Amino acid sequence: MTGEVRAEKTIRTVSRRGRRAAIALVAPAVLIVAGVYAYPAITTVAYSLSDIDLSPRFRIVRFAGLDNFINQLGSERFWEATRITLYFGLMLCLVTVVVSFGIALLLNKTFLGRGLLRVTVLLPWAVPPVASGVLWVQMFHAEFGFLNGLIRAFGGEGGIIWLGGQTIALHSVLIAEVWRWIPFATIFLLAGLQIVPRTVKEAAAIDGAGSWRTLRHVTLPLMLPVVIPVVIFLFVWAMKVFDTIFVLTRGGPSRATTTLNFLVYRQGFEQFDFGSAASTAYLLSALTVLAIAGLGWMLVRARRLAGA
Amino acid sequence: MVATAPGRAVRRVATYVGAVVVLIVMAFPLYGIILTSTQTERDIRSADVAFVPTYITTEHYTRIFSASSGVPVAESMVNSLVVAITTAVVTVAIAVPAAYALNRMRVPGRRLILGGFAAIYVLPTLLFVMPLFITVVQLGLYDTYIGLVLPYVAFTLPFMVWIMGSFVRSIPVAVEEMALIDGAGLPQLIFRIVLPLLRPGIFAGLLLGFVLAWVEFLTPLLFTSNLSMLTVTLGLFRSTMDIEIGQLAAATVMTALPVILITAFFQRNITEVITAGVER
Repeated sequence: MTGEVRAEKTIRTVSRRGRRAAIALVAPAVLIVAGVYAYPAITTVAYSLSDIDLSPRFRIVRFAGLDNFINQLGSERFWEATRITLYFGLMLCLVTVVVSFGIALLLNKTFLGRGLLRVTVLLPWAVPPVASGVLWVQMFHAEFGFLNGLIRAFGGEGGIIWLGGQTIALHSVLIAEVWRWIPFATIFLLAGLQIVPRTVKEAAAIDGAGSWRTLRHVTLPLMLPVVIPVVIFLFVWAMKVFDTIFVLTRGGPSRATTTLNFLVYRQGFEQFDFGSAASTAYLLSALTVLAIAGLGWMLVRARRLAGA
Repeated sequence: MVATAPGRAVRRVATYVGAVVVLIVMAFPLYGIILTSTQTERDIRSADVAFVPTYITTEHYTRIFSASSGVPVAESMVNSLVVAITTAVVTVAIAVPAAYALNRMRVPGRRLILGGFAAIYVLPTLLFVMPLFITVVQLGLYDTYIGLVLPYVAFTLPFMVWIMGSFVRSIPVAVEEMALIDGAGLPQLIFRIVLPLLRPGIFAGLLLGFVLAWVEFLTPLLFTSNLSMLTVTLGLFRSTMDIEIGQLAAATVMTALPVILITAFFQRNITEVITAGVER
């Protein structure tokens, strides 16, 4: 508390000397961000309302009004991608949070080799997304991949074509992405677990609650305000997944792994239809913002419940 | 429920079994790629996967770094080094003053700036990339270092300002107040007091900027096409390497290695940053 009061004081002390200096210090960052985000974001609005020709050189053919948006909303491909995106996003959140919660509960205990486990759990985070994509391509390889090898080693047939079928390909991409996000979610949830006061758990145990009931009725409700931010982060990332899909499936087989974000890429940089790509990008943004708003509302409610 | 002695023993065993399972599942893919990179192409392509190697060969590593390699891995590493180091230095140089001003001075529109910097990450990167692509082509920056560094810096900057801000806030205000009482002007305050105290933060920021630029894939994919501008991440694709699985695995390990080393070295700090975020 005192720290904040003092910070306020310094802001005042320094600001008397140099409001202009403050602006000068912030200006380069703000200008660059404005140039690379705000200007393109606005330009993309213009794209989304235009017919665009890219060959032989970039040219806005005509103002198209809301045509691009209407076309998207009327196209089966858009809704297919939306369904895939939502399913992928929700599954990524669900699976990652459940698995990470388990690992966090484990890491919250004291046992020999805990430090080693902690470092190992962090490792996938350090693998560049593209490298992780290549690594999973080799894991999933139908003939000599490690997963099928493993299945054969345990006496199975091991002939699964992981990236071949429409349903299985989407879930293979999901496995690769969950693996990549477990480190973040685990560390975040572990930090949350360490905040849940030990005394509360002890009190529950004294009251006769077993470990399952303590988890269900004490730890989980108290963890909700920590779980929801994790879900928000994961969902936003799921909406932006690109590298893994590009490397593993390029959106296929036959669009089965084409999320909205990947659809933007396909429309923009494979079909060079910037008008459609821009409108899809904005529809995806709207979807993301909507989902965050919903989750944020849940967070506020959870905080109130946990506080009460 | 009173835990009986056998119950406790069962629970201990369960903990260790769980730990081993997690350890294997999380490490297995990484182990797999390292293993692949050290086996001969013939063994890699055999359906009998040997999970424990009987030999180790470095031929794939020598091959990808040899002059006759189909993919200029060494050259791509140099490109990525140049671009990543430049990005790190430029980003930190711009982010530190901004972070200081935003946290310790009265900047008009402070909340708007910080809010905008966070909101950017919600939107898909491709949304910004399309006009940038047109601009980069029109300015003749396609296939140049600047054409890569500029977007990298911008993509990293908002996050960097945020991270540097947490380091700025950790400097005791009293130190700055004392300097001001002693009659130091803003330049002295920044160069004599703040920057030396920020040294660990700046170091962390440089590594962060380096890592983010090193792993970037979308920008080089769209903004370069010449093999001489190849970055390490792109090198894993714009190549015929997928014909040689062992070499691809070796190149993947080389791409991941710097990031893994940096992360392993700083895992405690990374955990601290996240933990601090949770507590807030």
